[in-house]
Amino acid sequence: MHVLKDISFDVAPAEVVCIIGPSGSGKSTMLRCLNFLEHPDIGTVEVDGLKVDVSLPARETAKTINQIRLRTGMVFQSFNLFPHMSALDNVIEGLVTVKRMDKNQAVEIGKSFLNKVGLATKFHEFPARLSGGQQQRVAIARAMAMQPRVMLFDEPTSALDPELIGEVLQVMQQLVEEGMTMLTVTHEMGFARKFAHRVFFMDAGRIIESGAPEQVFEHPQDQRTRLFLSAIEKKR
Amino acid sequence: MTTDSQLQAEKIYALQQSRVQKFRTGTTISLIILLVLLIVAFSGIDLTGMGIPFRTIQLDSAFMRENAAYIIQGLGDTIVLAIVSIFLAGALALLGALGRLSKFPPAYAIATFYVSLIRGTPLLLQLFFFFLALPQLGIRLNGWTAGVLALGINYGAYMSETFRAGIQSVGQGQREAALAIGMNQRQILTRVVLPQALRIIIPPFGNDFISMLKDTALVAATGFVHEVLWRANTVGRQKFKSMETLLIAALCYWAITIIFSALQTRLEAYLARGERGR
Repeated sequence: MHVLKDISFDVAPAEVVCIIGPSGSGKSTMLRCLNFLEHPDIGTVEVDGLKVDVSLPARETAKTINQIRLRTGMVFQSFNLFPHMSALDNVIEGLVTVKRMDKNQAVEIGKSFLNKVGLATKFHEFPARLSGGQQQRVAIARAMAMQPRVMLFDEPTSALDPELIGEVLQVMQQLVEEGMTMLTVTHEMGFARKFAHRVFFMDAGRIIESGAPEQVFEHPQDQRTRLFLSAIEKKR
Repeated sequence: MTTDSQLQAEKIYALQQSRVQKFRTGTTISLIILLVLLIVAFSGIDLTGMGIPFRTIQLDSAFMRENAAYIIQGLGDTIVLAIVSIFLAGALALLGALGRLSKFPPAYAIATFYVSLIRGTPLLLQLFFFFLALPQLGIRLNGWTAGVLALGINYGAYMSETFRAGIQSVGQGQREAALAIGMNQRQILTRVVLPQALRIIIPPFGNDFISMLKDTALVAATGFVHEVLWRANTVGRQKFKSMETLLIAALCYWAITIIFSALQTRLEAYLARGERGR
């Protein structure tokens, strides 16, 4: 069974792409193919000049895949912070363990990123003592500390209580304004409308429609896009 | 209204507390009675004088006093044997668990084979195999080495299932988050998975250690490790006073089990406290 079919697109530096669509349409799977949390069966993935032909045997692609992961930051729906580490240790883990950075230097960088996401007072808190919104902001800081070229957001606000969504979106907005290249799977149409340069509508494993937000939201070409958008409108 | 319901809640709470207290007191009294009965049973007092046609067990207390120190000194070997063996068992259990979780067929097969073979045969047989059968192949192990190997390999097989469960309890999302920041498999295991798995593994690991403390007695069968049971048997047989010496040995094992169980309870409480913070 094919989960994804005929997926082909380029994203320019500093471009913000939002991916919308009904659940089960393959949005998350597609995003996870970009840093190989899912392994596509055929095709190529290229990130920042690093190209992987996925049909090659694993031992030939492993190294490039790891390099791609170093240049992509990922934020998960369920945060996936390391529960046995403080907020700061979560953020510096990649710097110290993967990049072999000096601990003091890593701590400096870690603190500056936690500052940036508004958690200057929470360095030494463990994830369990943070709210969902705070945890997700730590997760964003953890990804950003690795200084990725691309950020992948997999429904970053879907697991949050409604009153906590704003603080996470605000941090994401900050990244948009700094010119970060971003791909975001989201149900936050407001965010997509306002900040996306391009919106993909996916259904049944295909990108059905893609274009500027005003075009996709105001003048959807495909019947499925119209149905999806009107269903969302009704829910409001 | 508020004060009324508060009063009622306090009453219910007090009632519950008094029930708990009653149960505790009752248990303590019962335990003391059982202990006194046990002591009386071995006290040598002749109850026929009091009209009860029963004579308690007569022990040679002078002989016990003379030999107690010698038997108790075996505890050192018992504890060292258990500690060395539990470390070997832990290492094998980790390898076994990783093997059972491996997608590499030979690793999975070897781990499965190990667990099946060792769990399918008696510990005493394994001990004899190392001590008595290997010399036929020119491999002569002393009692200590054979004992540690048998205990470690045996417990390692049982514990590998515990380790496997502990490792599996760490969610897939943790591995994905680690992969996403570029960690390799070894880093994921040592930095992310094992520290979390240990919280699950440590309590049963402690239970296994306490259980092993007593299984070290099997190593007495080699005749070359002078731990508690070996000493008790040796002295007891010479003078035909095994009742006395085995009682001393039993008290030794019981005492260290109580001590290590108490430590275990505190350790579990400590780990659970961290758990609540999650």
